[in-house]
Formats: sequence, C-alpha cells, structure tokens
Amino acid sequence: MGDDHPTPSVTREWVNALDELFNPVLFYVLLTVGAIGVTLAMPRKGISPQIIGGLIAGAGFGGVLILLGISGYQSEDVPNLYFFVFALISILSGLRVITHPKPVYAAIYFVLTILSSSALYLLMQAEFMAFALIIIYAGAILITYLFVIMLATQAPSEEQVASLEGYDSTAREPLAATLAGFALLAVLSGLMARGVTEMQPAPESAQSLEATILAIMPQKIIREYQQAEAFDYGLAEPTIQEVQEGFDPNTMAMPLVIEDRERFELGLETDERFAEMIPSAGSGDSVLVRLPESRGITNAEGVGYALIAEHPMALELAGIILLMAMLGAVVLARKQIELGEDEKLAQARTLGETEEDVAHVGGGM
Amino acid sequence: MIDQMLSVFPESLPHLALAADTTVAPDIFAGPISLYHYLFVAGSLFALGVIGFLTRRNMIVMFLCTEMMFQAAGIALIAFSKFHLNHTGEVFVIFVLTIAAAEAALALALVVLLFRRRETLNAEDWALLRG
Repeated sequence: MGDDHPTPSVTREWVNALDELFNPVLFYVLLTVGAIGVTLAMPRKGISPQIIGGLIAGAGFGGVLILLGISGYQSEDVPNLYFFVFALISILSGLRVITHPKPVYAAIYFVLTILSSSALYLLMQAEFMAFALIIIYAGAILITYLFVIMLATQAPSEEQVASLEGYDSTAREPLAATLAGFALLAVLSGLMARGVTEMQPAPESAQSLEATILAIMPQKIIREYQQAEAFDYGLAEPTIQEVQEGFDPNTMAMPLVIEDRERFELGLETDERFAEMIPSAGSGDSVLVRLPESRGITNAEGVGYALIAEHPMALELAGIILLMAMLGAVVLARKQIELGEDEKLAQARTLGETEEDVAHVGGGM
Repeated sequence: MIDQMLSVFPESLPHLALAADTTVAPDIFAGPISLYHYLFVAGSLFALGVIGFLTRRNMIVMFLCTEMMFQAAGIALIAFSKFHLNHTGEVFVIFVLTIAAAEAALALALVVLLFRRRETLNAEDWALLRG
C-alpha cells in the first residue's frame, strides 16, 4: 500500500521486456513442453509414464516462470522467490489433482493447491481472504468432498481389494483435452501480456482510500491515538463527535485539547515518537496531532468497508444463494419413507384428524 | 497481530505497482512481482482445471476441477484488486467462495443421488441426454 505510481520509463522498459519475452517462440515452446508433459502424465491402462510426464510438465511450467523472472530482471524488477516457489507448488499440485487416479488423493492434492494459493494471497497482502480461503475451502468444502468420496464408493469385494475402477484409471481423450486446454492458456497469456502493458493502475492513491475509510471510523482513530500513547502526555481524549468534526483525512491529523501543559512539554522533549506526531507545537489550548504512519487500516477493515459500503447487493445475493443451496440440498437428500397401511392410520390418529381424513389417507394413497 | 506476523519478512511483501527502487541491492526474497506473474499462475490453474474436467470420468473429480477453475479466478481477482489498490476484487472472491460452497453442497448431493441409482460414478454411464 502507498507505493509510488510507475514512472513512464519503467513502464516502457517493462513493455520492451514483455515484447522480448513474447516475440520469440520460446514462451510457446515451453508451453508445448508443458502440454506434452501433461498428456504423458494422464492416467492410462498398463504401464503409464506418469512420473516422466509430471517431470516434463513441471519443467515446462517452471521454465515459463523462470522466463517471467528473467524478464523481470530486465525491467529492473527484482523477483520474489516466495512467489515462484508457491506458484510452482500450486501449479504442480493442480497437475496432480487432475492426474491422480484415486479421487481421495486428488482431493488431498487440491488442499495443497489451496494452501499454496492462499500463500500467494498473503504475498498480495490480502490476509483476510488468505485465511478465509484456508478455513472455508480447505476446512469445509474439501471435507464435504472427502465425505462424498467415502459415501459414494462401493465396498471392495474380497478378491479386488485395492483395485481401481476402470473409469478412474484411464483418462478420456487426453491428447485432445490437453491441446484444448493449452491452446486456451497460450491465447490467454498472450492476450493478457498485451493487455497488462496498456493497463494503468487506478488514479486514486491508496492513501486517500485509507483516509476515507479511517474518517468514518472515529472509535478506531481514538484507539489508534491511545495505542500510540498520545493521551499519556497530557492530551485530552476526544469524544466521537469531536473526532467526526475535527479529523482531516487529507493530513491524517486532528486537533486535540491540551489538559496538562507540563506533561505535554515533557513528552515533546523526551519521547521522539510522540514528538513526531506533533507537526507544530503552538502555545494555544489545542494542538494538531497526526496519526502515526504505520497506523493505517488493516486488510480486514478494508474488505469489510468495501463489502458493506460499496457492494451490499453482492452480500445479499450471496445470502440468497446460500439459502437456495441449503433448501436444494435438503430436498435432494430427503429420503422417501414407505409407510404401511397400519402406520398411516396410526400417524393420522396421532395428528388428531377426523375419520374421513383417515379413510381418505388410507384409500387415496 | 497479522501485521506483526508479517513483519518477520517485512521487505518481502511485493507491491504490484511496477515501480522499482534501483538503489537497493537485489535480494531474491524481496521485490515487486508484477500483475502479469499472478495472471499467468491463474491462467495455468484455469487451463489445468479445464483439462481435468475434459479428461476425468469420475464425477467427483470433475467437480474438483471446477473448484480449481474457481480458485484460478480468485487469484486473478485478488491480483487485480491489488493492482488497482482497492478491495473490490477481494469482495468478489468472497462471492466466488459462496458460489463454490453452494455448488459443492448441491452438486455433491446430486452425485450421491446418482450413485445410489446405478452404483457408479462414471459420468459416461449418464450419457442418456446425448441422444
């Protein structure tokens, strides 16, 4: 957050680097290598070169990532090793999801994909979504999958203890599907490379978004002052209304009343952090106090603000969709119980119905 | 709390802005990763999901592959959200997570029902609609 926006020269170098990357066929050759590897890694009957295929596919994807890293060096970007490690883990475990013959192992490898992509979220400073992803995906959705895999499996008979079903151990049309998938990837990444170079980040700076959100959270501002120990040096704690009126989002500062002049002066002399918060100490009753720079809004607060203030409709729709899914699952899972005639009569009697109704139930159904 | 945890490697958090500070010596653990890097990862995961959906015949694994495509969309959304320095993309990842959960509940209930009918998970055994 709060970075300078790219200067034109850096952007142009980046464009050149991407041109150097995509004009030669190296990128597409590496993608073809990846495609060959994925095709080989598909499960098939008899001796299948799954390990070799996986290695070739890994080499292809890893080569593309290395290429991206090198192009980053040319444009004076410095690669972040964490990104490359987690990207490779997520892609390779994704490959294992689609190639492992046993569904349970595929689900477990998908958990690995989730974990590494939540690490990618963390690298993008989306902490809230990273942990929500682990809790919801790895913790809830994948467990549902595992339960269903266990529910929808025949008990193996004595002679075929660990044998796989035929439809699990052979892929359907591996070559055609891989060609389709990698054609999609080649077109996507080529077009994205062209589109990204022309894109400009939003003109609004992070500071102003942060300030807008801060300005509507007066209690948080008071708490931030408290944690910065501003009230220990003779400054009066403001009320919520005073914060709403006095806080200036542009300078991230507000006037605070000085209660104890001596302690305030003492604080200015002895505490450097406190002195930094006061741009100019006058002789008046109140003094302008800045929030410390590190005390911005957190990622969770930003997401919460965007969710409630900017996209309340998405929240409502999500609620409705979850409700429909719950109703649908209950309707689907409801088991039809066949009742005999005597049981129907007994049930009708306990419900306190009349003789005619009982007769109707007995005869009609 | 999270801030403190992340401050273990404070310089390593990449910023998706393309600016580079040339005065700092190169550190392989640090530095900005561009938007395109994340988009390529998202595209690869999406392509793998498509390939898996086309090749696998087990209905449960087919749905796992659709989840992988959702995941790819999530990475792309978060990368764009970081690039534009607002939180809209993250809000839509929440939406995607909701859809994924709803889909998992409904689709898996259907899979269990289908399995009860024919005792098989092979998608090709349910090809009656192909005509």
